[in-house]
Formats: sequence, structure tokens, C-alpha cells
Amino acid sequence: MEEKIPPSEMIVHLGPQHPMMPGPFRLNARLKGESIVDSEIDMGWIHKGIEKILENKTYLQGITIVDRICYLAAITNEEAYVGCVEKLAGIEVPERAQYIRVITEELSRIQSHLLGMGEYASFLGFVSMFMFTIRDREDVMTLIDSITGARVTHNFLRFGGVKDDLPEGFAQDAKYVFENLRKDIDSYEELYSTDDIYRGRTVGIGVLTPEIAKDLGVSGPPLRATGVDFDIRKDEPYLVYEDIDFNVCTQKEGDVYARIQVRLDEMRESMYIIEQCLDQIPSGPLFPEGTPYGKRSPVMRVPAGEVFHRVEDPRGEMGFYMVSDGSERPYRVKIRGPVYPTLQALPPLLKGVSVADIVSIAGSMDTCTSEVDR
Amino acid sequence: MDARSIIASLTDRFPEDIYDADVESDIRTVAKVKPENVVDVCRYLKDELSFGHLCCEFGIDYPDRNEIEVVYTIGSYEHPVVLNMKAVLPRDDPQIRSVVPVYWNANWYERETYELFGVEYIDHPNLKQLVLPEDMLGEWPLRKDYKGYPNKTAKNLV
Repeated sequence: MEEKIPPSEMIVHLGPQHPMMPGPFRLNARLKGESIVDSEIDMGWIHKGIEKILENKTYLQGITIVDRICYLAAITNEEAYVGCVEKLAGIEVPERAQYIRVITEELSRIQSHLLGMGEYASFLGFVSMFMFTIRDREDVMTLIDSITGARVTHNFLRFGGVKDDLPEGFAQDAKYVFENLRKDIDSYEELYSTDDIYRGRTVGIGVLTPEIAKDLGVSGPPLRATGVDFDIRKDEPYLVYEDIDFNVCTQKEGDVYARIQVRLDEMRESMYIIEQCLDQIPSGPLFPEGTPYGKRSPVMRVPAGEVFHRVEDPRGEMGFYMVSDGSERPYRVKIRGPVYPTLQALPPLLKGVSVADIVSIAGSMDTCTSEVDR
Repeated sequence: MDARSIIASLTDRFPEDIYDADVESDIRTVAKVKPENVVDVCRYLKDELSFGHLCCEFGIDYPDRNEIEVVYTIGSYEHPVVLNMKAVLPRDDPQIRSVVPVYWNANWYERETYELFGVEYIDHPNLKQLVLPEDMLGEWPLRKDYKGYPNKTAKNLV
């Protein structure tokens, strides 16, 4: 925005360091009085060049790198990457390993939503909510930690399986945590639905209609809050999601309140999925038998070809497009993150709203700049 | 709508522009498109075949063949088929028309492809760098002959 602006208007830069933002990006907002005439997003402060790094690493080394795309969804990033290689090399994952993957991925969805939701409440000045959800999140993180051995960057999936089996007594631990978490989620829902200030800041704010949301390419909770039941777990099932009973959580209103409500519902649905997995999980090997794939798979050459594999991230549709030329390194990897189109949709969404609502709308998208910049 | 009928409909409508079209599986199809008519093809895909969701758009560099491929990965909200459509451009002067009028969210994807591969998008509303610093424009870091990565010092350390 370098053109001359009339004296009645002014440009305000939000960021790149701003408490609203989980990572650095800058919002240049052109204001007329209190309302936004136009805005533009400037980003790239933490561009890591992961696509280029992956081209220079072997397939196995890549797993560690894709963890770092977004620390809140590390397991789903790994799933998208590992799924690509498995499709290219034609590796069948044993059923037990698939169930363990689903369990970790849904746990990761719960912790991501808990953080996103709590952080969002703190943007609106409701800081104690952040303390409540971060306490619950800690329990979920401990569960993930007990399976993968790490809290944030797990490095857990392998081609054809998973690194470790479920620890002893995991089902009991999960049962205990979920019992408390269900109660807490109910109480959050009650808080959200009865607090007048919270409702005043969220109901009817930042409304997206289904047509516009589709047009902007938004996916995940912001899209489902408009009533579109687009969920990769249902539309293009991977792992064992076909055998599991769950609903795609949607709302009709499309406003900020509906987005938070979708996340609350999804956490309940994720717990339901994990409980089914723990009931149904068969015993068996963690890696396909009679193949070289294992915890430390050798330097592998993947057959030449191209594949696009997508999974449902906590924030939406995560896809990897991988081109292999038959060597031990991928020829090209494109990472299609879910927040990239969501963040891009922010300027049209902010047009005409007042300055106070910027934080409310931008925060409800649950953006992750680390993933946008890659 | 299944993958076969989509490909049949596409090749019937654009016999000149679509070539190498194929069905990989029930949910994956591939096709190549002549760069001149990419906007018309995209509009047909969106309006008639309900491909309303542009998953991503990016480039792939092939220095041996002296080509840059621009890939459009297009999905749908109504059916599960994903189309990977490619446009092959010459590497020394890659130019293609922008699909922003059809798919609004192509805007950032095209800016990123421009700064990383040097693909010039004609009629793009705001073609400038997105994630890279301004002084890196013209180095095209994701091309295979980029010299800046792996960094020399880092290479000696590893």
C-alpha cells in the first residue's frame, strides 16, 4: 500500500510482534476512523525454506524436518509426509500401527484445539480461560508424551508403521484424562454460552457464508462453522477412519462463536474416536513383516512417480505433493498447509469491521505462522 | 461424478488444449494443459465439473528438459476426485496467465511460485514477493541450479 491516502485515513501496522499472533506476520490496516477500509498481510519473517531442505535430505531424515512445519500439528504433518512415501513405495501399514497413528493424531487435535481456544479467549481479555485450557492440555500432552516420547516434535511415524507401541496401562490413563476433560469442556461451553461479554465479542462477528468460504479456499473449523461438512477423514478416508464411527461437527452461523463451538465439539468427537480405537485395536506387528522397514529403515530408494496425499490437520486440509525421481531424496516436495488460504482470507473478512474486532476475527482462525511461512 | 467421466468430459470439451489425460485411481486424475488456455479450462472445471477447491498451485523445475511445470491441484467439495493439472513452460522464459479470476486463493500461490521459480503470471493483480526478502528476487531459490543452498559453511560443518 504505497499509494497516497486521503488525510481522513491512516495506516496502522499490527505486528510483526503482536500478542494476538502465534507467530510473526504483519497486518497493514488502512483505517478510516475506527473501521478498516483495506488491509494487507505481509509475511515471511520465519520463512525456513522447508521445501528446499527436504529436497536435500533423505526420506527418513525428512520426518524430523516436517515436524517443524507447525509444532501444534506435528503428528498430522508427519502423517501427510509418510503417507506420500507409502503411496509411492506401495507400503502397507499393519492395522495395529494404523490404530496407534489415529490415536496420536486425535490426541494432537485435542491439544491443538485446547491451545487455540484458550489462546483465543486470552486475546479477548479472558486470560483465566487460557489457564484452564492449558492445564487440560498438559494432561493430553502427557498422554502423547507417554506414546511418542516427546511433547512437541515427536519424530514418531515411520514408513510402514510407528516407532513404538502403546505403553502399558495407556487405556486406563486415557480413560482417566478423558473423564476430567469431558467435564471441563462442558464447563467451558457453559462459560462461553453464558458470558455476556464473550458473546458480545463473538456472536455475529466475522461472518463467513458457505459460498464465500468455499471461494476463499478456507478449510477446517472455519469452513465447517459455515455448515459445509468438508472433512478429509470422511471425504477421502486414510488409515482406519472408515471403520470408525464419528460425526463431522458443523455449525450454521459461520461467525466467530460458531468456530469456537466447532472446536469444542471436535474435541469430544476426537475423544470418542480414541475410545473406539482403544476398544478395537488388534494385536500384531508394528511394521509389515518380511520387509526391511522398521524403526531404523535403511537408506531407501522410492520408485519414481508423483503423488498428492492429504490428511485432516487440526486446522484443516494438510496436503503433500511429492515428486520422486527414484533416488534416495525426494525431487520436489510441496507442502499445502491449511492456514495458508485461511490467513489469505483475512483481508476480505476484515473489510469494514472495527479495529477492536481485528483480534477477535484473526484469533478465531487459529493461525499458525510457522506453517504459513514454512 | 467419477474420475473417468470427468476426464472424458474434459477431453471432449478441450480436445486441443488437454493432452496426456489419465485416471490414476478412483480419486486421482492427471492431465496436461496448454498454457495459453489455462484460464478457460479452469473456468470450465469450476463451473461445469464442480472443481471448486484449489488445493494448491506450485512449480517443479526440470533443468535437464529445460522445462518448468506449473501444477494445479484442484479438488472439489461435491465429489472426492482430485485433478493434478500441469502446464509445461520453457525454463528460460516461463510465462502463464494467472488463474486468480477463477480461483481467488491462487493469489498467494502464484506470488510464491513467482518468487521461488521465476514464473511470470500475466494479469496477476499484485505480483510481488511474498515470503522472501526483496533483495532475493531474481535468485529463484527453488530452482535446481540455485547455488545458495546448501550453505557452504554448513556443508563443511556437517
